[in-house]
Amino acid sequence: MKKILTAVTFAASITALVSGSAQADVCDTPSKLGDMGSFPGEVITISGSLMERDEEMMTNTLSCFEKATGAVIKYSGSRDFAALIVADLRSNNAPNIAIFPQPGLAGDMAKEGHLVPLGDDLAAWMTENYGAGSSWVDLGTYANASGKKDFYGFAYKMDLKSLVWYSPEQFEDNGYEIPSTMEELIALSDQMVSDGNTPWCIGVESGNATGWTATDWMEDLMLRTTSPENYDRWVSNDLPFNSPEVLNAMEVYGQFSRNDDYVAGGAAAVATTSFGDAPKGLFSSPASCMMHRQASFIPAFFPKKGEEVASGEADFFYFPPYASANLGNPVLGAGTLWTMTKESPATRAFFKFMSEASAHEAWMQQGTFLTAHKGADLSAYATPALRKQGEILSNATTFRFDASDLMPGAIGAGAFWSEMTNFANGQDAQTTADNIQAAWDAIK
Amino acid sequence: MVSRTLSHTVLALIVFVWIVPFVALVTTSLRSEIASKTSGFWTAFTPTELGHRFSTHDKGQEMEVIELTGNIFDRLNDEDNSFPVSGNVKSIFIKRRVQDPENPDKTKLIRKLVPPGEPMVVRGGSFVFQANGDFIWTFPEKTLPKPKKLDAFINQDAVFGTKAYVEVLFEDKQVPNALISSFIVTIPATIIPITIAAFAAYAFSWMQFPGRDWLFILIVCLMVVPTQLAFLPILKGFSGIASWATALNHWFTNCEVTSSCQVASKSFATLWVTHTAFGLPLAIYLLRNYIVGLPRELLQSARIDGANHLQIFVKIIVPLSVPALASYSIFQFLWVWNDLIVALYIGPFDNTDLVFPIRLEKQLGTFGDQLHLLNASAVISMIVPVIVFLSMQRYFIRGLLAGSVKGG
Repeated sequence: MKKILTAVTFAASITALVSGSAQADVCDTPSKLGDMGSFPGEVITISGSLMERDEEMMTNTLSCFEKATGAVIKYSGSRDFAALIVADLRSNNAPNIAIFPQPGLAGDMAKEGHLVPLGDDLAAWMTENYGAGSSWVDLGTYANASGKKDFYGFAYKMDLKSLVWYSPEQFEDNGYEIPSTMEELIALSDQMVSDGNTPWCIGVESGNATGWTATDWMEDLMLRTTSPENYDRWVSNDLPFNSPEVLNAMEVYGQFSRNDDYVAGGAAAVATTSFGDAPKGLFSSPASCMMHRQASFIPAFFPKKGEEVASGEADFFYFPPYASANLGNPVLGAGTLWTMTKESPATRAFFKFMSEASAHEAWMQQGTFLTAHKGADLSAYATPALRKQGEILSNATTFRFDASDLMPGAIGAGAFWSEMTNFANGQDAQTTADNIQAAWDAIK
Repeated sequence: MVSRTLSHTVLALIVFVWIVPFVALVTTSLRSEIASKTSGFWTAFTPTELGHRFSTHDKGQEMEVIELTGNIFDRLNDEDNSFPVSGNVKSIFIKRRVQDPENPDKTKLIRKLVPPGEPMVVRGGSFVFQANGDFIWTFPEKTLPKPKKLDAFINQDAVFGTKAYVEVLFEDKQVPNALISSFIVTIPATIIPITIAAFAAYAFSWMQFPGRDWLFILIVCLMVVPTQLAFLPILKGFSGIASWATALNHWFTNCEVTSSCQVASKSFATLWVTHTAFGLPLAIYLLRNYIVGLPRELLQSARIDGANHLQIFVKIIVPLSVPALASYSIFQFLWVWNDLIVALYIGPFDNTDLVFPIRLEKQLGTFGDQLHLLNASAVISMIVPVIVFLSMQRYFIRGLLAGSVKGG
């Protein structure tokens, strides 16, 4: 799942292009940028894993800081960020800022003493001004070498996962309605099957990260079948992986993914279909499936790279909760963490910049950016689709982070992924859960 | 005779196996993104049946009509004509919900493949299409039809285009930039080690000094040191040198330490140094084995004529060693040109300074969804080594033999 975080909503990036949001005036935002100080010619170096369109939009956004202060920002993005940043930090080549897609790695680097605390003021600000603020602060708080906990990671640019993508035209042709409860969603799936259609496209293949799509499903279903408190206990393994609550969620996921009638290509195709190819089934001719559950970034993988969302060929609805379970509207999400790896006055000012509503709006205007900043003007969102996602984020009664990102690396980016892939290949739920729990016991 | 036929067959087979991926890459880079993702490259040369989704007309057409006409191919090529679709329409796949005749309370989904010439019901109108793509959509009364997307199966003619190349080379400056950066890295990183190695090889073969053989053995041993292991210490070293150079720069020019006189610890220069360091052991070994085999008499007569070491080296050794020098420079050139990992860890990270392999990697996108561009870039990146190899291959073969056949 970690990969997802890096990706982030490519989605409306392209829709932003289509709707012609002028790149030139991204800094012209509804909220005004405060005084950022003056740092003419000072260089701020940033390393991260954002690339291509994401990188472009980030550069546009950061140019607002450059304009305001005269500082120069140099960004380097790489797929191999996780390996490169470790080498850079250990060899005294730290950039000023590192953008971590994984809280786990950021925590490790804090422990080695490579991160600079952002200060209690910023933590207090985030608690106050972010939706579900204290949980964002927790996500960026780690212990250093001596065990002292500090706030290191500033969450900026968020991702929404609890979405189901579909083709409105297909729904119209077939006469299907958007379900508002999980019961309705399952009834709709059954109706699709009886009509001779295939309801779901599911693909969990993703190179050496194969399985993360399945962990996202699991996490979303955990939030819909048991309490958020249990979810938190599950993340810290106070609730073992093979407990009835977790097993139940896995069985529910199995009802979707291991049902030959439900999945395009049959249940056996789940493990071998690339997560990026899976949504293409919605648009293939003829369509091979009707629905696809995936995070907000997925339109980048649609055949027209997300243009479908702007033109109305693709849309999404909220992955609904069970009406019977009474658990409110849970939402699963993630975000990138910006950390200070080499201190300088300009870098300090940059973190102040990130707390400005204007810095959020500048990116919102370009698309592919969701924020929990309560002060940001929602009208700045580039497209109605993004605004709708922003609303889902703000209407959430429960917001939880991607569990596999919070679990220790050996689980969240290891056993959980690989065992869920085995589950897709036919291993039963009990064995799957026992194996993950055994892997967890082994690293305790 | 039989063995000759056999060896020819085996040779042809090997050539075939080697050439297939190249043909696949070039073919794929010339196909449309959708075609290359949905069918194999071998289907590109013959008509293939592919599904296409087209919409009957554009949104916002504000006209009430009884009859709407159009052409499926025009509609498909209207959006993007860099890979024009042509051929003939085999059928249209239609889905519609109707009253279930057996159960009046329920509705039933109809799924059907409609051949050309047969009318079908679409949004209350009658839709007829021909194999050449023409369609007529008639309504019982004047209506303002909403656009409708339909799935057409088309027996599609082969089509190629250079869209990916145009996009890669001209629309975004990053690939040309990366080509230049790669040359900036590769040329010095080839010339520097070969120059040093030639001098060293001469010294190891024709000069007498204590510990010569032990030193040579040490250098040969250095060939096995993996680059990857050395990244951290090398980076540490460079960052130390860089901060020292920054301080020195500050001392002399009195500039602001924080910005203008900062010396980068990752730059083209650090790449040259690293590639030189890791290329030298092999270069010295290869050249020394060649130079040691040059006729002793030649050097002795030069000595008698009063030539010193430098003169012997420049006037005799270098001209005689051209094959070995050329073959080593091909090795080194290809290695540096294709190198990703050293450039990633030690090279400059400014977007404009990235070398070609890093650009290729970035082109994969955060999630590997830019494959069509990657194919075109990959072909471009292959052209340079091919030119280098072809222009120097006659030396290369002689140079390869150089290490093994001694004497003269």
